[in-house]
Amino acid sequence: MSGKPSVARVYSGFARGTDCVISEIEISVSPGIPTFSVIGLCDISIRESHGRLISALKSAGFKMPKGHVTINISPAYMKKSGSGFDLAMALGILFASGQLPFAEDRKLYAEGELSLDGSVKGTPGAALRLNKARNSGFGYIIIPEEERDSARCTGFEGQCVKDLSDACSIFGFKGYRPEQFVLGDVTLPETERIDISMLKGQEKTKRALILSAAGFHNMLLLGSPGSGKTMAAGLISGILPMLDSDETGEVYALYEALNGPGTKISGERPVRCISPDITPGKLLGSTLSITPGEMALANHGILFADEIMEFPSQILDLMRKPLEEREVRLFKNGNTYVFPADMIFIGAGNPCKCGLYYEPGARCKCTAAVRRRYLNRLSGPFLERIDIFSEMRSIGKEDMSLMYADGKTAESPVIRERIAESWAIQRERYGMKTFNSCFSSANIADAMRLSKDVLTYCSELASKGLFSARGYQKTLRLARTIADYEGKQDVERADVSEAAVFRAHEL
Amino acid sequence: MDYTEQDMKDFYYTAVRMNTRVDFKVIREMFDLGVVNTHRDLYGMDEKTLSDIGGYGLCDRSLERIKDWIEERDRILKVCDDYMRTGSQNSIFLVSCEDEFYPANYRAQSGMPRVLYCKGRKELLKQCSSHGSAAIVGSRNASSYALYATGQFSKELSSKGITVVSGMALGVDKKAHETAVDNPGSTIAILAGGPEIIYPSENRELYRMIAGKGLIISEMPPGQQPLRQYFPSRNRLIAGLSDCTLVMEAGAVSGTLHTASYAAAQGKEVFVLPNNIYFENAEGGLRLLEDGCCVLYSVESVIDSVSQAIIRRKLEFPELSNVEDETAGAEDKATRERELSVLRQKAEKIPDEVTEDEWKVLIEDRLSVKPLDIDNLCHALGLPFYKLSELLISLQMSGRVVLENGKYALTFF
Repeated sequence: MSGKPSVARVYSGFARGTDCVISEIEISVSPGIPTFSVIGLCDISIRESHGRLISALKSAGFKMPKGHVTINISPAYMKKSGSGFDLAMALGILFASGQLPFAEDRKLYAEGELSLDGSVKGTPGAALRLNKARNSGFGYIIIPEEERDSARCTGFEGQCVKDLSDACSIFGFKGYRPEQFVLGDVTLPETERIDISMLKGQEKTKRALILSAAGFHNMLLLGSPGSGKTMAAGLISGILPMLDSDETGEVYALYEALNGPGTKISGERPVRCISPDITPGKLLGSTLSITPGEMALANHGILFADEIMEFPSQILDLMRKPLEEREVRLFKNGNTYVFPADMIFIGAGNPCKCGLYYEPGARCKCTAAVRRRYLNRLSGPFLERIDIFSEMRSIGKEDMSLMYADGKTAESPVIRERIAESWAIQRERYGMKTFNSCFSSANIADAMRLSKDVLTYCSELASKGLFSARGYQKTLRLARTIADYEGKQDVERADVSEAAVFRAHEL
Repeated sequence: MDYTEQDMKDFYYTAVRMNTRVDFKVIREMFDLGVVNTHRDLYGMDEKTLSDIGGYGLCDRSLERIKDWIEERDRILKVCDDYMRTGSQNSIFLVSCEDEFYPANYRAQSGMPRVLYCKGRKELLKQCSSHGSAAIVGSRNASSYALYATGQFSKELSSKGITVVSGMALGVDKKAHETAVDNPGSTIAILAGGPEIIYPSENRELYRMIAGKGLIISEMPPGQQPLRQYFPSRNRLIAGLSDCTLVMEAGAVSGTLHTASYAAAQGKEVFVLPNNIYFENAEGGLRLLEDGCCVLYSVESVIDSVSQAIIRRKLEFPELSNVEDETAGAEDKATRERELSVLRQKAEKIPDEVTEDEWKVLIEDRLSVKPLDIDNLCHALGLPFYKLSELLISLQMSGRVVLENGKYALTFF
């Protein structure tokens, strides 16, 4: 053995927020007294790999080379963590020590945690890493069997291995036999949901839910306890079209990073419920470990805030920026981590302290001042993020019996179809994947095909005090959604009128 | 303007009263003893009848005066001609106590003129009986506070259909007329001189406005200059015509106080605008308050007072409540009810053929019972949400419907 160290180069990756960094792993083995060091701002979970490597290599019939073993994981200035580098390190050691023929022809990407008996385990964040790895020009991609689901979500091409000897055989007699993974059984069967026809006698809220889904409009439901606010919010996921493959990948990656390998999701849009006791960290994400919060987890789906009136104003204020920008930003050590948070926000609350304000028979005993104070908990800037306002009342006896009597015709699937169509219309009009509620342009009137007549009519309504002046644009956006849902080319006066009904509120 | 024979007789009566020594005592005696039945009978009296009236037992004073008058009959007829010429040139019409247009408030009291000379909209005389009237009077050089209040009250009252009565003087009177003349209640000006004589002349523009859109009344015949002694009598007519009197500002010695005391004497409520006790021109008004007049504080109390007067008047003069109007109203109501029920059936059976306006009628019909929320309306009318929302917004725009406490309610004005 000459004095010149033999160096092998393999690749692996680690996740940062919703992003992933591919790192180069250099392994050098040189003669001398046996040492083992890992450098490159690695935390203890990586440095501990020494023990796993010795045992796993032995189990697979190899041995730890005698001499200095130095492992450098670059970029060396970034802090890294996780046990996913084990497999890449083990292969690198075998290459460097000549126990395996070095595959110099193609770049090798490997990830997975080794156990003492040599089997390979998956680590959280696989979907994020694989998504990056598949586009980075690797000749070999080797992942643990457990990460098969993540591979499916990313449209990935590579080989799954059960243990270290499996991985080594790729460079021996068996050769590299990559599989092409396509989106498949990652998705759980759709859960059975209550049909929207259950919403009997609540025409306004029913329509509000449909429009909210059709244009990704944020919504506020005010109603007495027991009027079905929570049910209404649950119904909306039954009328939202399923996630498309890109969105599935995005949503899966996030949930997999949080819950680890073996995570399964259904193709339905996520519904995240938050309650007034939520902490800022849980809402926006933890800056310590850069894990997504509820707002990020609701991406492409629904964030439902129950009892919104009871939320501390500090939490409501924190929500304002993400609702506006449709993404959550976390800052740590001078780095910005961006989590997309493109969702429908639905708030539900009581219309007054006793909650009976909308109930028939004047059961509410709140004075105007008490009511005012209660409703003032929602600040003006927060309300500016809300497009649709609707009230709910407890259901009368007749409707209650109807609810369970003729629930046979399911309306939700039909409505879901129509909503999918109106999404397609919006996508086509704007030339990108966006919705009426968030499409931004210097001149939305032209982009949304709003005629002069409609604009004048809308400002007339505003001047009559039917909605505030700042609600003007919101009304137009909502009117556009109504027209899209009804399959109309141009927005008509009737659509603006209907939008105005949803903009009228006493907050 | 052509005058009828009845008008001629009315002119003659005024001419007799203005140009002979026949005063109210003589006239009353003649009525009491049955010499004449109406004031128009005076026209028929000549030398021939003079010998007949001896048997009625008139007192010597009266007999003497009647004799003087009949001797001068030709001169009086000539005066009549003058009146008629001036009157017809200025399109002045007459209303006497024999006419249906004669104000009920005058009929209810004694001592009111039997003949009125008017210019403008005759129907206001009836309207002020059926919808009520209020006198707004005050100082000619009123403070800005009184003028402001005058404008406010005059506007509120006249927009509710109550006729504002005043004397077309400067200051408060002028403000009251100006504010009311365009409103449903409109305004009546009672002048001290002949109805075609503009006094004070600064009010020429105002006079033209009232003569066009309101009504001018005077007890004086055309051509009669307003003399100083006529003004208290004119104030009596203002108080007499209206159902209550609003004193906006009055000094210690003021014609306004006359009006107030006439009103009080006729049993009508007097409202006085309270004012600063150190303000000199307010003393008369404050004294009235001390004497027990009502404080003019809210327009509601004035409206209350007027509506009570209307009710009393309707009991007293049942013929006043316009019979024709009410039957027509009842019939209208019946047809409306019939049409509505047809419409309701149509909406139930063939909802596609119901027009937008018909839906609006049906919505108003529903809301007339009680305010409803949009969900209940949807259910009650069987109308899809998007259709209903459009109709409701258009009703809201036209001010027929408002959103209150999350429910849609009908407006009443």
